[in-house]
Amino acid sequence: MPIPRKPDGSVTTTCAYCGVGCGFRAETLEGRVVRMIPWKEGKANHGHSCVKGRFAFDYYLHPDRVRAPMIRASIHDPWREVSWDEAITHAAAELQRIQAAHGRGSVGAVSSSRCTNEEIFLMQKFARVALRNNNIDNCSRICHSPTQFGLSATLGAGAASQHFDSILQADVILVVGANPTEGHPVFGSMMKRRIREGARLIVIDPRRTETVDSPHCRADVHLALRPGTNVLVLDSIAHVVVCEKLYHEAFIRERCHWHEFEQWMALVGDARYSPEAVGPEAGLDPEDIRRAARLYAAGPRSTIYYGLGVTEHSQGSTGVMCLGNLALACGMLGREGVGVNPLRGQGNVQGGSCLGSWPHMFSGYRFVTDDAVRASFEHDWGLSLDPEPGLRLPNMFDAALAGSFKGMYIQGEDPVQSDPNQNHIMAAMANMECVIVQDLFLTETAKFAHVFLPGSSSLEKNGTFTNAERRVSMVRKVAQPLAGLEDWQITVRMINAMGYPLHYDHPSQVLDEIARLSPAYQGMSFALIERLGSVQWPCNPEAPQGTEVLHTKAFPRGRANFMLTGYVATTERADERYPLLLTTGRILSQYNVGTQTRRTGNVAWCGEDLLEIHQADAHTRGIGEGDWVSVSSRYGATRLRARISERVSPGVVYTTFHFAQTKANAITSDLSDWATNCPEYKVTAVEVARVQAPVVTEPAVREPAEAPA
Amino acid sequence: MWSELRALREDVDYGTPPRDGEAVTLTVDGVPVTVAAGSSVMLAAAAAGRPVVKLCATDMLEAFGSCRVCLVEIEGRRGFPASCTTPVEPGMAVRTDTPRLAELRAGVMELYLSDFPAEDVLGGWSELHEVIATTGVSSHRYGPGENHLAAPVDDSNPYFLFDPAKCIVCSRCVRACEEVQGTFALTIQGRGFESKVVASQGEPFLDSECVSCGACVQACPTQSLVEKSLFEGGYRSADPAQA
Repeated sequence: MPIPRKPDGSVTTTCAYCGVGCGFRAETLEGRVVRMIPWKEGKANHGHSCVKGRFAFDYYLHPDRVRAPMIRASIHDPWREVSWDEAITHAAAELQRIQAAHGRGSVGAVSSSRCTNEEIFLMQKFARVALRNNNIDNCSRICHSPTQFGLSATLGAGAASQHFDSILQADVILVVGANPTEGHPVFGSMMKRRIREGARLIVIDPRRTETVDSPHCRADVHLALRPGTNVLVLDSIAHVVVCEKLYHEAFIRERCHWHEFEQWMALVGDARYSPEAVGPEAGLDPEDIRRAARLYAAGPRSTIYYGLGVTEHSQGSTGVMCLGNLALACGMLGREGVGVNPLRGQGNVQGGSCLGSWPHMFSGYRFVTDDAVRASFEHDWGLSLDPEPGLRLPNMFDAALAGSFKGMYIQGEDPVQSDPNQNHIMAAMANMECVIVQDLFLTETAKFAHVFLPGSSSLEKNGTFTNAERRVSMVRKVAQPLAGLEDWQITVRMINAMGYPLHYDHPSQVLDEIARLSPAYQGMSFALIERLGSVQWPCNPEAPQGTEVLHTKAFPRGRANFMLTGYVATTERADERYPLLLTTGRILSQYNVGTQTRRTGNVAWCGEDLLEIHQADAHTRGIGEGDWVSVSSRYGATRLRARISERVSPGVVYTTFHFAQTKANAITSDLSDWATNCPEYKVTAVEVARVQAPVVTEPAVREPAEAPA
Repeated sequence: MWSELRALREDVDYGTPPRDGEAVTLTVDGVPVTVAAGSSVMLAAAAAGRPVVKLCATDMLEAFGSCRVCLVEIEGRRGFPASCTTPVEPGMAVRTDTPRLAELRAGVMELYLSDFPAEDVLGGWSELHEVIATTGVSSHRYGPGENHLAAPVDDSNPYFLFDPAKCIVCSRCVRACEEVQGTFALTIQGRGFESKVVASQGEPFLDSECVSCGACVQACPTQSLVEKSLFEGGYRSADPAQA
């Protein structure tokens, strides 16, 4: 049949993969999505797309999708399909039983950045009104929690200062610990467009990524630092700015506190941060550090984009503060073409941060310990709320292992695969009495669950996502949920079953509640987003159509703050036994833990995780291209195949964590950011050795039992 | 600066990127229209509600001027300039629809159709099919000759295929790969009749530098590059037995 079939329906929605949040028209034929066409009016993507959003959507009808709720008494029993009523009644009864026996704080909830704002808000409401505690956390704990902390501490707002389009006015682009062409491809294309127009590029990354060198896009300076030395190198760049008097005194005097600047100047001006002192420890040429500093400070419009290579360290929050300080010192905030911008991994990490899925904060980043704030929620929700902050995600696992934490409601997260020190997490999971998992597939985490609630894909529900540039866009229902309920409806039923009456006709009413209770979202509504296409927060009476660039006139606290960012090396160090440093990341064709993309044609590009290793390190270990190798750390070991690569420096190895059988997180440590507990995924001392190929390897994807309906 | 991205509209293809610039007023078929300086005559015509047919032009890409169907007449100028590559000027009087233009376009369309699968001329819904409908040219006067109709289909990519038989070598895919995606994986190899779209060094799409972003598929006006998901039970000559 040479003439293609013409789609007969079209719904405009937002991609659920990375934090770019591209707009798409989901085109359907006889009710089934047949293609995704990038939306030309999408303000994040302007008609462009990547392989994931454009093509990798078929997972939504994959035979592995769970289509009915299931329960079991023990994780060793087979699953039993039950009705929604039975599953939810059972789950609620179990949580209540555990609370009666072990106390109110013995259970908790986890929300996901893959879910909508409305679903995330309802999950934290579940913890607060149904569990009556603050044991609620979300997966930005393990990715961008240092962003929220570090940028709040310096600039007063834990979010990107710019909109994506702002990069089209940048003269100098500083990319730190991020690989936009793979991790945020559509933004990466926009960045390359600007570089082709003549913008200069500085990349700080241990790997020689595609961002560093690709056709018509080459970094002017690439600082291929040793993993773990971010803060040292950023302090050294600040040292050059200070010592060569490249800072913007007028901006600092007007917008910051001069005495704080002087304190900071005294710290980073110390000789121990001079490029000559830092170079050998970080594995860099001192002159490159100076060039990077001069280029950035000269601007005239310099902008910073950074990713998890900054945050996922024991000094992750400090690293973020370094970036805030640097932008303040050089006056690179509050106008187009400048700024400090986190690139968010998952579609709704920003929303996850905004909407109170934190053990210590309500929506809008306000503390549960603040009596006035708590009173506003108590008034709206009609009951008293726990003033004590709850457990963070890693604390929940620690408490589970210790025996004081017994039950968990996990929505759309797969901590067994994604969280660090996997053996520890699995032991904690196995120690709980009631684990409720709400997901599309039987994930690694679901292997430890007692109740499975089949969730809805982003094509099967209504709601909103907030992307990395604070843009709130509409997620629209294209198909009916396979198991009958949208995720927000499931959570509402859980809340009701726990004895708290609650009803919404539509997620728009949840957004109305968010707007009522969260200052940055004050003016948001489905009607406004429908009218404008998308809206960037803050959206309030002063900015009724939202805000593209933050900090133009003043910072949220009036003036911004310089934070002191002394370098403290991680305790995770290479030694004779573990001489190499492992860092982890992602590739273009796969997404996060891969539950979606592994079930699509994207496996044509990446069917397994590989260990990138430099020729020199491979040679001394007798490792050839494609050989099976063991990777062992102080925490665990795993096995995968080697790829000889010049992208990594000698002494550094790299892998991704897209495939469960790789168990990449069996080797990562349980060290974490000093302020936020964000895990130190980016530095693990390891040894690599050639091993025999495994006799049987699990297939990457289970063969479909039948063609998708 | 931004209009090229921000002024794009879902339901209209201006043909060339919107511009920022001083207002320029002209007429298209007598309809007065004001657009930004630096815009093309093609964009002005679309804004005036008098769109000109086009194949190699789309508003997400810079003008290229290769397909020769967007010809117009401009008062006081000789010849028939391509509207996509002609910038607007104040007071310009553009004609998009004259008998001579129709004749020229018909000639160009006949040449395209002379090397296009005959069974696919009717019933399709690509941009080429829209031009066929607008110009009313659905057949040609040429006898059988050398053609690309038996060129092998590249279906290596899991999501889209490339059928050279439907390719008119307009370069939209090549330009989308460069301008929109920034990967530079595609090129036109060869000259004249020999010219063809290739990925990297003439490799299958899957093995090439292509990152499968889909920009080329979206840009293709003939569905020569097309999503596999739109075909039930495989594609014509993707099956070697039928090639």
